[in-house]
Amino acid sequence: MTLIMVVDDDQDLAEMLGIVLTGSGYEVDLVSSGDQVMPLFETHEPDLILLDVMLPGLDGVEVCKAIREKSMVPIVMLTAKGDTQDVVLGLEAGADDYMVKPFNPNELIARLKVRLRRTSTNAEAKQLRIGDVLIDQVAHSIVKKDKVIPLTRLEFDLLLALAREPGRVFTREALLDEVWGYQNATDTRLVNVHVQRLRAKIEADVNNPLIIQTVRGVGYKAGA
Amino acid sequence: MNFLTNRWRTSLLFRVISTTFILSILLISATGSALYFQISNGIYKEKTNGSVVEAQSLIQYSQEQLYSTEYIAKLKVKDVIANIVRSTDQTLTSSPRDVVLVGVPIKNKKNSLYNSSSGGIPVSSIPTSLQKKVEHSTKIKWSRDLITFTDGSASDAIIVGSLIDIPNQPSYELYYIFLLSEQETILSLVVSLLWFTGIFLVLFIGLLSWYVVRQTVNPVRAAAQIAEKLTAGDLDRRMMVRGKDEMARLAISFNEMAVSMQQQISRLENLSRLQQRFVSDVSHELRTPLTTIRMASQVIFDGKEQLDSSAARSAELLMSQIARFELLLTDLLEVSRFDASASILESSPVDIKALVSRTIDQLQPENGKKIKSDFPEGEVIAEVDPRRIERVMRNLIANAIDHSEDKPIVITIKDSDTEVAVAVRDYGIGFTESEAKRLFDRFWRADPSRSRIRGGTGLGLAISLDDAKLHQGTLFAWGSPNNGAQFVLTVPKLPGIPIQNELIPANPNLTASTNFLSFNEDDI
Repeated sequence: MTLIMVVDDDQDLAEMLGIVLTGSGYEVDLVSSGDQVMPLFETHEPDLILLDVMLPGLDGVEVCKAIREKSMVPIVMLTAKGDTQDVVLGLEAGADDYMVKPFNPNELIARLKVRLRRTSTNAEAKQLRIGDVLIDQVAHSIVKKDKVIPLTRLEFDLLLALAREPGRVFTREALLDEVWGYQNATDTRLVNVHVQRLRAKIEADVNNPLIIQTVRGVGYKAGA
Repeated sequence: MNFLTNRWRTSLLFRVISTTFILSILLISATGSALYFQISNGIYKEKTNGSVVEAQSLIQYSQEQLYSTEYIAKLKVKDVIANIVRSTDQTLTSSPRDVVLVGVPIKNKKNSLYNSSSGGIPVSSIPTSLQKKVEHSTKIKWSRDLITFTDGSASDAIIVGSLIDIPNQPSYELYYIFLLSEQETILSLVVSLLWFTGIFLVLFIGLLSWYVVRQTVNPVRAAAQIAEKLTAGDLDRRMMVRGKDEMARLAISFNEMAVSMQQQISRLENLSRLQQRFVSDVSHELRTPLTTIRMASQVIFDGKEQLDSSAARSAELLMSQIARFELLLTDLLEVSRFDASASILESSPVDIKALVSRTIDQLQPENGKKIKSDFPEGEVIAEVDPRRIERVMRNLIANAIDHSEDKPIVITIKDSDTEVAVAVRDYGIGFTESEAKRLFDRFWRADPSRSRIRGGTGLGLAISLDDAKLHQGTLFAWGSPNNGAQFVLTVPKLPGIPIQNELIPANPNLTASTNFLSFNEDDI
């Protein structure tokens, strides 16, 4: 069974989330404060973390950073503020996606499914090359200069999406659709922040990216 | 010239000094000329009087000499005349003079036997007007005239003349000519002295006024500079206070004003911060329970087959009203963010064409007329906040659909190098001028009976206008009852550049003009 860790200080919301998620067939772990996340995380090993930004004790952004130091588990933030600052802080701390309260529960489930799905691998082309980065679709890993670089599943999906069609210019909307499972969305922050994070991991010079190139006014494409 | 008029308008110092200069030049030249006239009149009067007196005695003496030829045999008229007619230099008792002796013509017959002159003055240089006066009088006559010498040069002189008897000869006229060269030398000295004093005085007064005005203008300039700095946001700037005069008082009150302004501003800043905090707190506090409510209602709604009909219908209403409440909450929070100036523009390069097309696809009414689009070829890239621009477009298009009465809707995009305009035109019920004035007011609805077709919050246009302004763009509306309406959004392609051209006029009956009339929102 897939285990989802729900971190929220609001007991009622946490319980409601538990009801909805259990109803969709997930196993749920309820945590009510930031301080308890790390000890539980190590013993329970959840498949996904649903994390409220505003938490007593360690706040959501801090928790996010702490988890990212140890694991590439998908993290979806819950935020009451649609404000840029909160969202960007969360994404920069390593969250893969975020939901602004009040959200539609069906949409939440849909997002979680996207984050939990295994990227369909192409058996014929097990390995893809983009710049000096080797993408192993079977092992779900990437290798640069004989070193394995740890990527979150989302970052892997993002890189793979670009690498599968080298030279094609992906609009941010297309990437949102393909990688995040959003339809008709214009949330460019999500794409921009993750491209930045990915570049920081694989590019030699972040200010002069060669592997993931920006096409001004349109989006991104994979470099040769 | 332009430079001067500009200086005149912009610099108090320049204005005061140039006025002082002009006035002092006028005053000093008036005094100078008056002085000059007084002096020259005095000098010439003195010289004339002296000359006349001197000539009188000389003429008398000459006459006596001539008469004496009659009884002193050895004296010959010719010699006496030669003695009379000769130049004299300055002596202690007399001035330098020349003499001319002219015969008076008798019945047009020439009488020039003893005509003679001294000092290179031709006999003809005696002015005829004076000659006429002398001929018809026994008294001494004089005039001031220009004497022409035989070598062609001329000089101002006083000419004194009288009839004289030469024994056994017809009448002669004897003229004494006193050249005024000495007086002219004195006068030219006076003139140069006057010029010197005049120029010196003008410069001195100019300098003085510059100094005096500077003392007043400098503190004013300093105040202006500091006021500019304050305006630019450098609120800690203060004026220097020196002494206890009026300028010091100006500085003190200026500084007091700055302090009170700073306090007001920081108070308002505090209020704005509090407001932002409040908005953000309300946001969090309201959203968390709303999330729970929404999820709960979804669970109930999903299981409504198991409920009886009234409970099922209640579940439906609960769902739709929660959705409406949510929209309202979102819009309210957005509005209060604008009010607290807490809205941030998150610009990134966006293809406006793609953005508008996407919005149309989302809103395209399934039944009824289609939305037509009139877009330029190629991409229309502008650096805007896509979330906000999409929200504006969604509001405008949804609005047009609501009021179009199934008539077509036309969306036009036009762009220039610096800006892009999107017009949404419908041919529906339109609105009146008085309605147009209130269009962008919060919660205002043109027609309450038809307002809730789409469940709009009544804040859409108000937020759209704020979004446009945040981009330093414009949002104008035009409407005419039963002829439809047009909303035109214009935003700069790069943030921070004000709109220069009206690419699409709000009134569709007008063609685009390059001269953009900027009018404020009250005119909308």
